[in-house]
Amino acid sequence: MLNSENLFNILGMAGMVTIISLATILTWKIQRLKQLQSLTDKLKRSLDEMDEQAKLIVRTDMELNKTQEELDKKVAGLYALQRLSRAISTTLEKNQIFKRMDAGYLEDIGFEKALAFLWSRQEKKFIPCLNIGYAEDEIKTINFYIDSNQALYLNLIKNEKTVSSISLDATAKENLKRIFAVRSFVVSPILPKEEDEGFLFVGTENIDTVITEGDEELITILSNQLGQALENARLFEKTWQAQQNLEKRVEERTSELTLALEEVKKISKRKTDFVSSVSHELRTPLTSIKGYASILISGKLGALPEEARQRIEKINHHSDELAQLVNDLLDISRIESGRIAMNQEPQDLKIIADDAVDLLSMQLKEKQITLNTDMPAESYLVWTDKSQLERVFINLIGNAIKFTPPKGIINIGCHKVNNRVQVDITDTGCGIPSEAQEAIFEEFYRVDNPINQQVKGTGLGLTLVKHIIEAHKGRIWVKSKVGQGSTFSFTLPLRS
Amino acid sequence: MAIRAGIGLSTAKDHIQAVKEALSEARRNIYKDKFDLAIVFSSIEFAHPGTLKTIGNLLGDIPIIGCSSLAIISQDGVFKHGLIIMLLSLSPDTSINVAHVKDITAETIVDAGKLLGERLLGPLKDVRRNLSVIFSDGLIQDCSGLLSGLQEKLGISFPLIGASASDNLSFQKTYLYFNQEIFDNGACGILLSGKLNFGLGTKHGWKPLGKPRQVTKSMGNIVAEIDAAPAVKIYEEYFAKDLAELKNDLKQISILYPIGIYLPGEEEYLLRNLSSIEEDGSLVLQGSVPQDCQIRLMIGTKESCLNATHQAVEEVKKGLLGRPADLVLIFDSVSRYILLGRQAAQELQIIKEGLGKNTPIIGIYTYGEQAPLRATSYLGKTYFHNQTVTILGLGG
Repeated sequence: MLNSENLFNILGMAGMVTIISLATILTWKIQRLKQLQSLTDKLKRSLDEMDEQAKLIVRTDMELNKTQEELDKKVAGLYALQRLSRAISTTLEKNQIFKRMDAGYLEDIGFEKALAFLWSRQEKKFIPCLNIGYAEDEIKTINFYIDSNQALYLNLIKNEKTVSSISLDATAKENLKRIFAVRSFVVSPILPKEEDEGFLFVGTENIDTVITEGDEELITILSNQLGQALENARLFEKTWQAQQNLEKRVEERTSELTLALEEVKKISKRKTDFVSSVSHELRTPLTSIKGYASILISGKLGALPEEARQRIEKINHHSDELAQLVNDLLDISRIESGRIAMNQEPQDLKIIADDAVDLLSMQLKEKQITLNTDMPAESYLVWTDKSQLERVFINLIGNAIKFTPPKGIINIGCHKVNNRVQVDITDTGCGIPSEAQEAIFEEFYRVDNPINQQVKGTGLGLTLVKHIIEAHKGRIWVKSKVGQGSTFSFTLPLRS
Repeated sequence: MAIRAGIGLSTAKDHIQAVKEALSEARRNIYKDKFDLAIVFSSIEFAHPGTLKTIGNLLGDIPIIGCSSLAIISQDGVFKHGLIIMLLSLSPDTSINVAHVKDITAETIVDAGKLLGERLLGPLKDVRRNLSVIFSDGLIQDCSGLLSGLQEKLGISFPLIGASASDNLSFQKTYLYFNQEIFDNGACGILLSGKLNFGLGTKHGWKPLGKPRQVTKSMGNIVAEIDAAPAVKIYEEYFAKDLAELKNDLKQISILYPIGIYLPGEEEYLLRNLSSIEEDGSLVLQGSVPQDCQIRLMIGTKESCLNATHQAVEEVKKGLLGRPADLVLIFDSVSRYILLGRQAAQELQIIKEGLGKNTPIIGIYTYGEQAPLRATSYLGKTYFHNQTVTILGLGG
């Protein structure tokens, strides 16, 4: 009994301890659970808060990305526009302007289809001049629609306003979308200052493309560029046409002048040939006349009465003059026709001038004329035919002596001008009137002055001189004042 | 050198002219008379039967494989319009087999994968296979089925990479090139065996955001419920937009904020782009999403994108065991092309700097990629991805 009572007591105690322990554990567990619950709630709250923050991040990120995308699109569009503008503004040919609008540029601006129509005032219809992304038959259909509603498109040009699928009213927008087979579009007028007004249409079938005001601005800039390029092309065409006309007229005149020159050359040649043959014909009888006159004067055929001898001497003297005239004429015609070969060699100019002066020293003495030679000590070597250049000096100094009054002065000077030497022969003679200063170099021209009336001359001397100088690739001219004297100047190329 | 590659690129508008130009440049660059394979990528305007016919006529019996793309990548840059041809010459101890399947439907996609696997194995059944490269129609809604069919034949841990062809973002039609044939709604691939050294890198750079959620109802690529609520709610809550507004911004949301699937044991989340939203609030994704899996909303930036490219390049280098790559193949997601915008060329620059400035590079922008997630490991299982850059470096 005791044992069983004790056992019950022990069991009761143990039970109590167990219950108390379980209760303690349970209480602890419940507390722990509450703690965990609180932690979980805290974690969940943090997670929810984090999720809310994530939402904010995502929304901000999306806005940023949209802005970035719009910005990228604008930058890409502007780059493309810049390249396109450069391409169309560097041509002055109307046909080339639209050909240079490549599909690649358009794609970078954000469109894959483009058309441009220009209004023809003569034909009273729209002419297509640009096609990107359309088949030929599609253009024909579109052109037909446009010409059926000409007033609408002419009004668009007149209003000078860009329209698009965001700015047009629903009916007009749907109508254009259907006609041009696109989902979004921009239409902008092309407005040169004169002629060729029209419009540019760009569009896309892309469902994701959203037209913005930025697109309208971009296409307006492009159509303005096209207008400017067309205006430039028109102005260039006009200038070019004027230039062409001018060139044509110049060509016609040149051709007329060439014909006239040919005619003159022919006549001149005929004259030269005539002079040459006549001179030859004259020389033969002249030689006989002179020969017979010389025989008669020499008395080989018996002494002549004084009066007859005087007459024969006159015949002889005039024959000499005539022979001189014929020789000069022959020389001129030979030089003109190129039959006389200039035997050009390097010659010292001063020696030739001195030789000529020596030859004329008697005449200088007779008229008591002072001749000053002012030639530099260093010799000028010229490429010349010595005998011909001597004739030049003799003629010019001889003329100076002829027209310089007794006790007058003649100066001979020379100086270098670039790769040429210029010789000046100045006298203190009666001078040459300005109107005769060019004519004196023409054949048989003689200035009307008292000396010429007294002294005989052929009128061929200066002509011959001019021909010789020009045959040496030189130039001759005169500067003179009546009553003050003359300066005859000529140039010759220096030996390089 | 096990592989010799010559690349030719043309941007000529006429497709015959483009083929002639690209092929003659590729021939010049390969310094070999004998070729074993031609890989052809082009922008959508060259996806023309005449293109393949001309290539076939000029190359003879050489297998041709490739697809259309939004833009093409070469070592010279990223080209929005163009045709690129890579001629490959393999060493005698390397073998190759090409195959294709056509007329894939949602119901037959797994079987199509198996058939493609069988056809690829064909003559290479009894030799050691090393690598397979697959191209598929980019408009196939859920390419995961094709992949599982292939894996059934080739092995789950078998290194397999793939690309879903793309078009000019109109999502109308993408094209596959196989010999002289051009087709859609199918797949084609290459199987390589023998002595081959290669490195693979696949990274996306997107990071998880917000609290983890659970897919409570899904079938294939359609997620009906997330946390026992209509799946669209996740996007409605995050963007504070209703269904109609979300549909308006779908393209941007799809590119920038995909769903990330948490895969226990894998380094990265598996991304799924949003294709469309059903009226009942279901999300249609590009690639399957297993029921009861944990998902997160993902966020990416240009910087994180380019960092991922760096990491992918490093993985390729690890795989190549320090040896240089003879050629580089890039499958880059179109989402990255859109996100990077004008910086797309920068991504190519990173790859060139990492794998050699003169290494021949050819690549495309894809509507989906297939690659092992843990790419450095041969045991890495191949998944169907979105948003990644997958780089394959092939060496001797």
